[in-house]
Amino acid sequence: MNYVPGTASLIDDIDKKHLVLLRDGRTLIGYLRSIDQFANLVFHQTVERIHVGKKFGDIPRGIFIVRGENVVLLGEIDVDKPCDTLLQQVSIEEILEEQRLQQQAKQETEKVKMQVLKDRGLSIPKADNLDEY
Amino acid sequence: VLSLQSLDEDCTLEEEDEGLVEEEDEIDQFNDDTFGAGAIDDDWQEEHKRLAELDERDGLGGVLGMGGGGMGGELDLGGAGDSSSTHLPSSADRGGGGDLAESLARLILEADPAIAGVGAAERPGPSPRLPPGPPPSSMLSYQQQQHLLRRGTAPMGQMNSHSIWENSMGFGPVSLTPGLVTHMEDSPLMSIIKEVGLPKRPPQGRNDEGQDLSERVPPPRSSSPVIGSPPVRAVPIGTPPKQPMSHAMNHQIHHPMAVHVRAPVQHRYPPPFPERLSPNTLLNIANSPLCRGPFPPGVLSQMQRAQLLNSQVAGFPRGGPAPPLLPGGGGFRPFFGGPPPPHGHRMGPPPPHGPPNHTPPIRHNTTHLHPQHRRMLTQRMQNRGGDRGRTGGDRRSRDPYSNLMTQKEKEWVTKIQMMQLQSTDPYLDDYYYQNYYEKMEKRQERERDSSKKEHTTKLITPQVAKVEHTYRPVQFAGSLGKLTVSSVNNPRKMIDAVVTSRTDDEEKREKQVWNKRRQILYTVEKMYSLLLEVQDFEKRFVQTSVRDNERRYQCVMIMSVRKGKRLISRLLPLLPSPQAAAVVMAIARNLPALAKKDKQDQVLCWLVEPVSAVIQSLSSSALTDLLQELQGNEGQLATVLHNKFGVTLLYLILSEGERMQSSDPNCQLMDDNRWTELVFSVTRELLSVPSSSLSPPLFTPPNLLSLLSLASTHTHTHTHTHTHSGMLHLCCFGWTSRHKENQLHPQLDITVKYRSCQSKN
Repeated sequence: MNYVPGTASLIDDIDKKHLVLLRDGRTLIGYLRSIDQFANLVFHQTVERIHVGKKFGDIPRGIFIVRGENVVLLGEIDVDKPCDTLLQQVSIEEILEEQRLQQQAKQETEKVKMQVLKDRGLSIPKADNLDEY
Repeated sequence: VLSLQSLDEDCTLEEEDEGLVEEEDEIDQFNDDTFGAGAIDDDWQEEHKRLAELDERDGLGGVLGMGGGGMGGELDLGGAGDSSSTHLPSSADRGGGGDLAESLARLILEADPAIAGVGAAERPGPSPRLPPGPPPSSMLSYQQQQHLLRRGTAPMGQMNSHSIWENSMGFGPVSLTPGLVTHMEDSPLMSIIKEVGLPKRPPQGRNDEGQDLSERVPPPRSSSPVIGSPPVRAVPIGTPPKQPMSHAMNHQIHHPMAVHVRAPVQHRYPPPFPERLSPNTLLNIANSPLCRGPFPPGVLSQMQRAQLLNSQVAGFPRGGPAPPLLPGGGGFRPFFGGPPPPHGHRMGPPPPHGPPNHTPPIRHNTTHLHPQHRRMLTQRMQNRGGDRGRTGGDRRSRDPYSNLMTQKEKEWVTKIQMMQLQSTDPYLDDYYYQNYYEKMEKRQERERDSSKKEHTTKLITPQVAKVEHTYRPVQFAGSLGKLTVSSVNNPRKMIDAVVTSRTDDEEKREKQVWNKRRQILYTVEKMYSLLLEVQDFEKRFVQTSVRDNERRYQCVMIMSVRKGKRLISRLLPLLPSPQAAAVVMAIARNLPALAKKDKQDQVLCWLVEPVSAVIQSLSSSALTDLLQELQGNEGQLATVLHNKFGVTLLYLILSEGERMQSSDPNCQLMDDNRWTELVFSVTRELLSVPSSSLSPPLFTPPNLLSLLSLASTHTHTHTHTHTHSGMLHLCCFGWTSRHKENQLHPQLDITVKYRSCQSKN
C-alpha cells in the first residue's frame, strides 16, 4: 500500500523481485529488501545477467547494495509470467566469452571508424566518457 | 606556510619542503594548503605502508578506533569532548593542518551550518569510553594519521583490540579513509577482515533476542575536517531511527514545523509504544499472527516475531495519536470504512488476509489529495489488490527474508519523502494539480443540484508555515573585527567577470534590429509576469476576505484609525461587489461612532468617491437596505446629518435611488413601500433639524436639483433659498408631493423654479 497515493514510492516494491539497470550497463536481478530516501537499494539473491545477442548468462552475486544515483531504471518482475522464451540461457563461461567477443568486435569497428575519421581530419569524442566530466 | 610552522621537530619533511620552496620561485599556495607537507610521493607511499601495518597490528582499532585511551595521553590530538582551552596551545604545537582546523572550529561562536564545527559536532557515544582518547576515525585527517605514524608505534601497543568488538555501538569501524581502502587489495587488512570476520551484526544479529534491527547504525563516515565541509554527524543522515524516534529526528531533520489546515494526524513523532491500544488494534495484532499462514518451522524466529509485533504496534499510533489529535483522527474514520489498520503497513501479513480484511487502504495522509482523487486511487488499488493479493501473499508468507525492512524503517523513509512534499505555497509548488481540481470542483458544482450540497468536496492542501531564516555571519572569538568566511550561505565573488561590449557600427545596426525584437519579447515577458503576480494576489486576497462576520468588526476597528480609513478607501474599489457592499453597510451602520472618532472631517471624506462608486453599483434592494442602515436606531439620522460625510452619503443614496427610478422603468425601488417610507422619514428628519446644524455636504448631486425644480404649491411656505438646506427641503417636498399627487409638472415650470433657486443661492 502506498502511503502517499499519487506519488511514486519504492515502499511497495519491497520483498519483490526486481530487475535493475545500472549506469554502467549492468543488469541485476534480485529481491529488493531495503531502500532509503536516496533510493539506495539492497538486493538479495542477486544475479547479474549478461545478455549477448539471444543468449544470456547469470552470475550469482549474493547481496548487492546499489547507490541510488547509479540506477537507470528499476522494474518489478512478474514471477508468474513465463520468461526467457526468446532467450537462451547458457553457462557463465560461455556468456562471458560471448561478451568478450562482442566487446572485441565493437572495439575493432570503433578503431576503424576513428582511423577513417582521422584520415579525413575529423575527430569525434567518445560519448560514453562525457558523463564523467 | 602555516603548516610548515606547525610541523614537528622530528619531521624530516620540513627540510625537503623548504628545498622545494627554494627551487620554485612561485609557491603554489593552494597546493600547499591542500596537500600540506605530505604531498611528496615517496614519503606518502612509505607512510601508507606503515599505516597499513599499524592497522594490522591493532586490528583496525588503533588509528580509527573507538578503543582504548592509551593513545590519547601521548598524542593528545585534542579529543572532541574535552574542554577546548587547555588543548588549544598543545594542539597548536603538534598536529598538522587538521588540528588547526579543529582549533579554528572551536573558535567559531555561531554556527553557520555550512562551516564545519568540527569540535562542536555531537559525539555522545565515544566520550565516556575514552576520556583523553583520540577522536573517532572521522576526525582524523590524512595529516593527522601521518602524524601518528611519525610518532612511532609505541603507544599503539596499549590498544586493546578486543574492545572494539564489544563496543556498545555493536559494530567495528570497518570503514577506513577512502584513500587507504583502494590500495588494500591483498594487503594484510583484507586478511584480517577475512579472519576476524565482519562485526557480529547481521546475519547473525537477526536472531538475537529482542534486538531491533533499526538500532544498527552504520559506522561514522570518515571525512577530513576541512572548513566548508558539512558537519560530521554522529549518526549519518540516512540512518533509520532507533527507538524512541523523536530523539533521532530532532538531530537530523531540520525542517519548519508543519501547520496543517485540516487536522491530519501528525506522522512525525509517534510514541514508540501507543498510549492506548484500541480494541481494533488489539484485534489486528491478534489476528495477523494467526492469519499469517503456515510458516516453515523455525523460520519465524523470536526476533522476527518481536519485529512483527513491534511493527504492528508501532504502526497503530497513527490511529491513536496524541490526545489533541484524536478527534481529528477520529474524524477520519469515515474514510477508512471497516476495521481500520490505519497505517500498519505490513508487507507480509495483509495480503494473506485476503479480501475480507483488505480494507480500503486510504491513509490519513492523503489529506493533501483531493477526495475524488483518493476515491479513484482506492478503486484502482482494490482492483489490483484483488487480483494479485492472494498469490503474492502466499509467496511472501513463505519468504523467510521478508520484512527485513521493518515497519518503522518504511515509515521513516515515507516520512522523509512526505516532508519533501510539504510546501509553503501549494499554488506555487503544485500549480497544475490545484488548478485542475479547482476546475473539477467547479464542474461538479455546476452539475450537481443545490440539494446535494454536502457532496461537493474541496481540496485543502496542508501548508507549511514559512520560516524566515535570517542569516547571521559567523563570528570568531577573540578576533579583531569581523572575519568573513565564505560559505554556501554567504558566497563570495571569486571570479571577476567583466562584460565588454564591442561597438562596431555595422554590428550595431544589425544589433539594433535584433535588440528591438528582444525588447519586445522582454516587455511581453515582463507584462506577463506582472499579470501573473496580479492574478496570484487577487486569488490570495479573495481567499482571505471570505470570512464575513469577522471582517465586519475588523472593518469598524480599522475605520477608527485614520490610516485605516484611507486604507479602506483605497481597498474598496478593489474588492468584489458583495464584499464592498458589506463594507459600505458596515460604514453606514456604524457611522455615528465613526463620525465621533473622526472629528476632523477630512479623512472620512476620502471615502466618498469609492463609496459612491459602490452605491452606484448597488441593487435597489441593497440600496434600500443601505438607507435603512443609515437611519438605524433612533436619533442616528440626526447625528448623521450633523456630519458632513453622513450628509453626503445620504445625498448619494437618495440620488442613486432617483437615478434608478428615472432611468430604469423596471426598477423595483417602489415596489415595496420601504423606499418611500424611508425617504419620508429622512425628509421628516431633515425638516426637524434646524438648518444651521446641518453640515454642508461635499457636493450635491445634480438630480436633486431637478427634484427641487419640481416644486408644488406646498413647497412655497417652506422655501429657504439662502442655504443649500433650502434646496434640500424643496427637493424633498417636491418629491413627496410628487408621489402624493402623481403629477408631472410642465417643463417650463421646472426651468423657472430652477433658475429662481439658482439665483437666490
